[in-house]
Amino acid sequence: MKVTLISIPVRDQEKALKFYTKKLGFIIKKDAPLEGGNRWLTLVSPEWQDGPELLLEPAPNHFEPCKVFQDALMEAGFPYTQFDVDNIDDEYERLTKLNVEFSVKPTVMGTVKFAVFNDTCGNNIQIVENL
Amino acid sequence: MTFYKEKLNHIKNTCYSNEKQINTVIETRHFIDNNFENNLKLDILSHIHFTSKYHLQRLFKRYYGLTPKQYLIDKRIEKSKENLKNGMTVTETCFAVGFESLGSFSKLFKIKTGKSPSVFQKEQVSISKLDEEF
Repeated sequence: MKVTLISIPVRDQEKALKFYTKKLGFIIKKDAPLEGGNRWLTLVSPEWQDGPELLLEPAPNHFEPCKVFQDALMEAGFPYTQFDVDNIDDEYERLTKLNVEFSVKPTVMGTVKFAVFNDTCGNNIQIVENL
Repeated sequence: MTFYKEKLNHIKNTCYSNEKQINTVIETRHFIDNNFENNLKLDILSHIHFTSKYHLQRLFKRYYGLTPKQYLIDKRIEKSKENLKNGMTVTETCFAVGFESLGSFSKLFKIKTGKSPSVFQKEQVSISKLDEEF
């Protein structure tokens, strides 16, 4: 068995696609139509295109408990998942200029420096630099 | 303050309050990053930090979740993938990233990536050729 997919619940796939590609910088790997206007939509890191894929999943729109869980995480400030970055301060500055909202500014804890932002699709996302 | 921030503060106070220890392991990691191609021995690292080899090993594992040796191997494999992609031969790559024998390099590379260095390199070359052709 291989780990190849990380799924993120999103309220609006098209909006999520724009945010994750235009602001975060991921690129499309797969985009296949499913029933009801839903898509199998996955993204990869530009510098690791054969790495794990990020699935933008419209689950909250079709399965109530997913929505409840997502809302609860958002309200409590918990990140849904996290991505690695080389330099967190540069990334913070770059994203802030693109009007991305951070709930946790770059903060050192132990051997990492991390920050948390709102992906505008229902999730908090954490970015981490290993010190 | 959100529930997440409360939790973070709690973890910071309970797990990450010893700054001296944290700085020691961070410096150790940087030392490995900058010297992975050399014949690195933990004894050298522990001498630099006036501590015992076993203590440093335990500290590193405690904060990074893996031992310095495991970290060093991952670092070397990651770097060797880069070198192979850039067209360096398997033998050159092996010694350039600090392995002392081709046998142990090939074996570790296969364990970590699922293929031998030469197969990995052939695939990379055919991927880049395909990109050009299509």
